[in-house]
Amino acid sequence: MTLTREDIAKYPFLADAAEEVRRVNLEIQSLDNPELESIIKRAANRIREALENNPPRVSYRKRQEDIEIPSFPVAIIMAASSGSNYIKRRYALGEAIRAYNLLIEEEREKILEVAKAFNWRIRQVKDIIGNRRFDFALSFIDYLRNTKPFHEERFKLVNKPLIKGDVYLTKREAARLLQEEVRKRIEDKLNMEIRLKLPDRLLNQIENLKRKYAGYKEKRILEEAPKEMIYEAFPPCIRQLLSAAKSGQHISHLGRFTLTSFLLNIGMKIQDIVDIFRSSSDFNERLTRYQIEHIAGSRGSGTKYIPPSCETLKTHGLCPDFEACGNVKHPLASYRRRMRTFKKE
Amino acid sequence: MNNTLFIHDRFAEFYKENASIIKPPSKISQREFGFFTFKKDIVIRHKGFLNVKDLRNYVKQIIPSHAYYSAAYYETPEESMEKKGWLGADLYFDIDADHIPTKCRKIHDTWKCKKCGFQGRGIAPAECPICSGRGFEERKWPCEICLESAKYEAIKLLDFLIDDFGFSHHEIQVSFSGHRGYHIQVESEKIRELDSSARKEIVDYITGTGLNPIYHGLQGTPRGRHVTSGPHMDEPGWRGRIARGTHEFLLSIRKEDLEDLSLKKKLIDEIISRREEILRSWEKEGPWSLIRGAGVETWKKIIGKAIESQSAIIDTVVTTDIHRLIRLPYTLHGKTGWLKTPIPAEKIEEFDPLSSAIAFKRGEATIYVEEAPEFRIGEETFGPYKNIKVELPLAAAIFLLCKDAAKVVD
Repeated sequence: MTLTREDIAKYPFLADAAEEVRRVNLEIQSLDNPELESIIKRAANRIREALENNPPRVSYRKRQEDIEIPSFPVAIIMAASSGSNYIKRRYALGEAIRAYNLLIEEEREKILEVAKAFNWRIRQVKDIIGNRRFDFALSFIDYLRNTKPFHEERFKLVNKPLIKGDVYLTKREAARLLQEEVRKRIEDKLNMEIRLKLPDRLLNQIENLKRKYAGYKEKRILEEAPKEMIYEAFPPCIRQLLSAAKSGQHISHLGRFTLTSFLLNIGMKIQDIVDIFRSSSDFNERLTRYQIEHIAGSRGSGTKYIPPSCETLKTHGLCPDFEACGNVKHPLASYRRRMRTFKKE
Repeated sequence: MNNTLFIHDRFAEFYKENASIIKPPSKISQREFGFFTFKKDIVIRHKGFLNVKDLRNYVKQIIPSHAYYSAAYYETPEESMEKKGWLGADLYFDIDADHIPTKCRKIHDTWKCKKCGFQGRGIAPAECPICSGRGFEERKWPCEICLESAKYEAIKLLDFLIDDFGFSHHEIQVSFSGHRGYHIQVESEKIRELDSSARKEIVDYITGTGLNPIYHGLQGTPRGRHVTSGPHMDEPGWRGRIARGTHEFLLSIRKEDLEDLSLKKKLIDEIISRREEILRSWEKEGPWSLIRGAGVETWKKIIGKAIESQSAIIDTVVTTDIHRLIRLPYTLHGKTGWLKTPIPAEKIEEFDPLSSAIAFKRGEATIYVEEAPEFRIGEETFGPYKNIKVELPLAAAIFLLCKDAAKVVD
């Protein structure tokens, strides 16, 4: 693959990371180098851009390869040593969106080159399916790997042309998937351990960023479970499972897990949940309690489980009404939202 | 002699002679094995074998009523679940007549209230109509219609795997499960490490879950009142399926079918009266823009029926479970005495489970049959029986005993 310096300035994550970092390490040790001043400034600025724009967006400075290229690994080191997950996530996304915006302006050949650098099984096509023209055919395996966090309907595999193992994509869609790949690669880099002793000047910069942007965000923790339980606010999936359990009907393993983990998470006591399953024909108190305690995290691996997402419930036929909860993606979120409207009334 | 002991002894004889046909999974040392035994409630899990000889000897020694291996590969399969070290898993599909709403179930499946003994047919109710008891013994019968409908789902699934997902025949292993369905396993380096959420997307693709036809060529005017175009039958993937399923639905359309979709009366009349024209339209652009007043939402309802018929009914939990235990090929199924039998994918159409999966080919046994519908084993048809003592070929006798429909006569 032939990458020009301009390419590396645009897509610095493609450069040999180890070599880049080694080089920057050396330079960081000699901070009096005046050239470095502008690199560090740009590095801090990259992070700041990601934190100040919404959605986060890092700019691209044309024809400044000498600063654009080395400022990237420096920014990585700075963001990583901030120790703030908020800064790390935000910065990774900012760089990924930067790459997306540059990619959609490129020729298809360049996109192909970048995709291949990530070992994608991809080829260029000029196929017309229906009346749409597609630019790339990508292995469904790579497709699934990179659409995992996407929730839009149009990115669901079932809504894509899939022929002989390849998903057909437009240029823009391929760039969107690459954005996700870039985001992951940068997040991985940011989570690597930094063993380097950084000069005070750099540490000060990092402290400033943290003070300014990461303060209150870090404190955000999961909403505490509300004290009271409102049956009327239960989403339809849970209501259905609950009434099936109470009338002793057979419920699938996943159904029982969903119901139990939901009730535990909204604060129901283990004994009360045991009682719900009492009408089941094969009820066994000891076993039921054991299973509930397992889901509650007081046994086994100690993991406290939450119910499956709406997506998963749909797949397994446990969502009785696809439209009832609007845009919500999780039964617990649906419950919280229903609680709010319920209280207003 | 009691039934369990009798079955156990026949299984023992079978494995003594035939353990060598048990087909080991690939990378046997990375798989977990599990067994049910005839001793009540004894389940053996987390077993590992270094080679097939040890596995076959073990089966001969413990005589399992059911034998399983993991679709997953582990570093140390004998450790507890958390410590096994998951390395990957084959992609697995289970098609079971249990999930297919065949009409014959109402005839041959029975249930019996555990409390008062009241009996009925079809799927067990939530509550016994006599004593309100909630526990039932259910007996599901693997009849020919059920087995055929399971096979039909398996064939549809194979089309998805080959045409859409691009797997080759040598990566796909089809088996008759030994009871009421088919197993389809994809073994390929490229899918081994797929996580559960990726497998879920594959399931959604095959079941048509979350499918929106507007991404498959259904186009309308901006507000969706009129449809301007739609997919065609010879197109690949879901586009073609939508068109073919819609064609099929409209081919045999009855007024009631459209009423079930809660379409407006005027629209129903129009579709019914222009049926011929609609069918002819497939030679060109299809019927999508033909019917006035049928907008995007109307077509989505009709396409919903197409998706139902074109998707494959699979057990969604099996495919998304990356630690699943799977019946071991060429072992006996404890509910039938039949073998789990591998079939070459291209031979599935002519495959006859009721001949090929029969394990016990010699001998007879006399049993007392309480109740059994007519059934076939190989070329021979038996029954129906009700409260009668009969001498049957061993395969037929074992089958009824395994189904708990008969008692051994000493």
